[in-house]
Amino acid sequence: MVKAQAVGIPVGKGESLWLRSARRLLRKPKAVFALAVITLLYGSGLFAHWVAPYGYNQQDLTAVRQPPSARHWLGTDGVGRDILSRLIYALRTNLIITAASVLTGSLLLGVTLGLLAGYLGGRVDSAIMRIGELFTAFPGILLVILIAATVKPRVLEMVRDFEDATGFRGLVRWGVVDYFVVFGALSAFAWVGMARLVRGQVLSLKEQPFVEAARAAGASLWRLLFVHILPNALPPVIVSVSMGLGAIAGAEVVLSWLGIGIQPPVPSLGNMIWEGQSISVLQRWPHMLLPPVITVALLIFAWNLLGDALNDVLNPKAR
Amino acid sequence: MLVYIVRRLLWLPVLLGAVTFVTFILGYYGPGDPVQVRLGTRYTPEAAARLRREMGLDRPLLVQYADYMRKAIRGDLGESYTYPGRSVSSLIGKKIWVSAQLGFAALLIGVSLGIPLGLLAAYRQGTWVDTALVSSALFFYSMPVFITAPFLILVLAVRLDLLPTAGWKGLFSPHIVMPALVMGLPGIAGIARLTRAAALEVIGQDYIRTARAKGLPEHLVQGRHVLRNALIPVATVVGLSLAGLVEGAFITETIFGIPGIGRLAVDSIFRRDYPVITALTMIFAVSFVLANLLVDILYAFLDPRIRYR
Amino acid sequence: MKKTLVWLPLVILLLTLAAVGCRREAARPPAPEAAPPGQAAPGVTATPTPTVAPGPRTGGVFRRLWDDPPTLDPHLTTDVTSAFVILEIFSGLVTLDYDLRVVPDIAERWEISPDGRTYTFYLRRGVKFHNGREVTAEDFKYSFERAADPKTQSPVAETYLGDIVGVVDKLNGRATEVAGVRVVDRYTLQITIDAPKVYFLAKLTYPTAFVVDREQILRMGRRWTEQPNGTGPFKLKEYKVGERIVLERNPDYYRGPPKLDRVELILSGGNPMAMYENDEIHITGVGLADLERVRDPRNPLHKELVQAPLTFDTYYIGFNVTKPPFDDVKVRQALNHAINKEIIARQVLSDLVTPAYGILPPGFPGYDPAMQEKGLKYNPDLARRLLAESKYAGRMPRIIMTVPGTGGSAGLDLEVIMDMWKQVLGVEVEVQQVEWATFLQELNRGTLQAFAGLGWIADYPDPQNFLDVLFHSKSPQNHTLYNNPEVDRLLEQARVEMDWNKRVELYRRAEETIIREAPWVPLWYSGERFALIKPYVKGYRLLPMLVPRLKDVWIER
Repeated sequence: MVKAQAVGIPVGKGESLWLRSARRLLRKPKAVFALAVITLLYGSGLFAHWVAPYGYNQQDLTAVRQPPSARHWLGTDGVGRDILSRLIYALRTNLIITAASVLTGSLLLGVTLGLLAGYLGGRVDSAIMRIGELFTAFPGILLVILIAATVKPRVLEMVRDFEDATGFRGLVRWGVVDYFVVFGALSAFAWVGMARLVRGQVLSLKEQPFVEAARAAGASLWRLLFVHILPNALPPVIVSVSMGLGAIAGAEVVLSWLGIGIQPPVPSLGNMIWEGQSISVLQRWPHMLLPPVITVALLIFAWNLLGDALNDVLNPKAR
Repeated sequence: MLVYIVRRLLWLPVLLGAVTFVTFILGYYGPGDPVQVRLGTRYTPEAAARLRREMGLDRPLLVQYADYMRKAIRGDLGESYTYPGRSVSSLIGKKIWVSAQLGFAALLIGVSLGIPLGLLAAYRQGTWVDTALVSSALFFYSMPVFITAPFLILVLAVRLDLLPTAGWKGLFSPHIVMPALVMGLPGIAGIARLTRAAALEVIGQDYIRTARAKGLPEHLVQGRHVLRNALIPVATVVGLSLAGLVEGAFITETIFGIPGIGRLAVDSIFRRDYPVITALTMIFAVSFVLANLLVDILYAFLDPRIRYR
Repeated sequence: MKKTLVWLPLVILLLTLAAVGCRREAARPPAPEAAPPGQAAPGVTATPTPTVAPGPRTGGVFRRLWDDPPTLDPHLTTDVTSAFVILEIFSGLVTLDYDLRVVPDIAERWEISPDGRTYTFYLRRGVKFHNGREVTAEDFKYSFERAADPKTQSPVAETYLGDIVGVVDKLNGRATEVAGVRVVDRYTLQITIDAPKVYFLAKLTYPTAFVVDREQILRMGRRWTEQPNGTGPFKLKEYKVGERIVLERNPDYYRGPPKLDRVELILSGGNPMAMYENDEIHITGVGLADLERVRDPRNPLHKELVQAPLTFDTYYIGFNVTKPPFDDVKVRQALNHAINKEIIARQVLSDLVTPAYGILPPGFPGYDPAMQEKGLKYNPDLARRLLAESKYAGRMPRIIMTVPGTGGSAGLDLEVIMDMWKQVLGVEVEVQQVEWATFLQELNRGTLQAFAGLGWIADYPDPQNFLDVLFHSKSPQNHTLYNNPEVDRLLEQARVEMDWNKRVELYRRAEETIIREAPWVPLWYSGERFALIKPYVKGYRLLPMLVPRLKDVWIER
């Protein structure tokens, strides 16, 4: 972060640079591994309906807590549901969560504000950073819980009416509403970290000759920021986002367990871990706890690996 | 620079006022009612009205806020709703101390293991040692506590019986080892990676080669240049974590039964224990601002290209 | 006790959300995957195998896991976590014995006036506070006045003392003194209640009616509970928040000093089974995951396994009878008949619960085993027929069942039940988890359509505590908004009926109607509960209700 690269990326060659980076990325074994894992996991989540051998709520009270067998490759849970199927559907939930967290704009907000704060400095910088402090100093959980309690029910109402009218089912059930509301609320806080990161980059970059040049050439503020500075500031952002996507899997468990998020019986990695966990369960019925735990660990590891590979590729000074 | 620091610090009381005011608003208008939580399932409208009157919650928002601030300035943070009769400051004080000890231990583990491991990886770059260390770092980097903890507990406490499973007996007891380790693992990973990256940057640079060429002994080469350069990002991380010390770590505390501030914070939110919530918010705000200020100052010292106006 | 939260079984170690009262209220019968908290809910009875040992010895320390009590002030306590400790440090006029009968405590006897409204208590002489001062009727007068003082902010003064003339007036500021409590002489106290309510004495066993030391409170103010000067068998020796509580024997206890030297309550948490096996604690509950291991005869722990009596709680699903489709009794009955409780109890919850078909739990005063037969049993054909006959047949509105709490699961039993409703009736119910404070608010406002995850635990051993409090149309705890004037009449009559048999009959008729009209789906009573107790700990009684018992425990070494 402190040692930002001093290379200016000339405008106009941008496209081939990204393509080139992509190709370099794919030559790295760790990147390939990471991408393969991510594709496999999210892919099976996306196509859960076709991939999973059983339904996610197919209960069989005669086959409760069974260890792995031919019929149930990962065994069954406390009400006889197939764990493998639930795991696959839980990955679908994770996909929704990842989409929600990316699409709710904390990224956009954070990057834009960071650019502004870093480049403009002075009062703008102070204002943005102090407001950021205000938000982070505040216990976000409190706000999220309260928002979940007030705003979410109303949004749920609206979406339910919409579902009734159009016959489209699944939005509410799949937790789309829950997560969009929650991450929407969280984005009020999430932008700060990204903004600070970007700002740090911009602070180092803005005294660079290529910025001077662009300014001298008459570029407007927005053009300067988004066309010239941002691409140079982007690499750590990309890396950070990649790591962040991994952490989402972990964050979802916490959300689940604060009761914000998907409602049972729809599975999520979070509620599967919650249902399964205790030392005693780990000893007695490991098949109920290990699959979601290993999946979360894999997801996090894969995203971290990818982030690391991206770092290697995008940051010319790293090795 | 001094002017800048002072200006930042002047912001603090404003921040505190704003943050507490927002908390009051949330309490006043938000869902959930501390009186109802207190009564639980023994709720009757009469008891609720009576309690509300006695607790002063039927007064207008601004009156309540002014009253609170007046007392707070004098150091009286009120009494907890959940633990009637217990003062907020005594409740928080003890738990913050516990969390601080735990956080400090975790930080210590992170730094004392992370830096050497990072240096090791940098010097053995390209060998299997490097790969192994980097992979492990990537693995543990954002691995949540509730994933690493059960396995650690199972092995160290249950199977091998080396450590107690849970509980808290202070900084110098075996009880601190596992929670600090679990909390410190991501720290080790992060710091090791940062150290390695920074060290690698420097190792190839000219002035190191020159120093070596001049015949400086190896440990001097290391000590002075590489380490110092590696410390920059690490210092940043440590600075930012200082705020985290105060915030506690809810999940770790729950898993290991540690009476820390993280649990208190979450509990008090669910119980709408507003005196505690407000006090905690203020404390977190202050520590956050101070930690950020520290980091920004560090930035300015360490990278002379950055200017603050 | 309080209605319990049905919490996902709290696992102290991992991700127990210690939020909201979940550990203050007794844990729900553990769902299979997790172990119950180390504090077995108000325990369980078992008569530990009668030992042929030479008699009780004094000395020794008894250790168990517990949680931080929210308060140690008897007038402020509302939950099990606090009450357990308070019952050992303080005492009152009367208490419950191990058979759950009201017996004398500080009052050695009492007289009830013919109209049933005036109780005259004759106090024992020589009962002392821990600091040696003798307890007199004045002290009781002070204590009642304090509990009824709005400044004390006792949440439950109305509930437990509200029948006493003048208490409600004082609470609402309409009086400065409780007219119904009168000091006759140094050792005689007279209490007048507003109607001849037979269950009044039972309410006095709860800490709100306990005696506290006026001098200490005047001297120490709000901080008096740091070193409470009580009257109970134990004194508070040490209380380190979040770490432990140490109780010390009171040698001058008026019913004979306890045998134990000390009691240690470990508050810092831990893995109960591991701690028990390490001899760090002397008693623990046994959860499903460990049950098999411990039941194995080859396991040495097997000898220490003890079975608990059923506790007095009932878990249920509640329907708001004013909201469609639950305003149609046939819908409610259909939903009842569609659930196969036996298979859930056996397969999913491993018999840790007993299916419930009535309101009163087994063993409770006034319980009639025949009531289980009158319950709405599993009958899918009948269920379908009833639904078809209801006015919502074919046009069921959306049903949302709200549960308090957090965590991933609404409770395995609820998930199975929702599936059964779908399979048998084609009715889809959505579950909505809501955090506790919000849940309470909506519950109290009556806006919930259906709710689950709650259980009602007895506060005092009288049927009024269940039937009247939960189903009388004017009761604030009647969350289903059930309103049946006939049932109201029966309940009101039973309040003041002085003949026990007649009372029971009234309650029986009321319960029958309530069951038939199904504002609830009664789900479970507690089932087999197990605990482990060290063999050298003698005299520890496991009981269905919270009763002071540590004074009879002794350690044999």
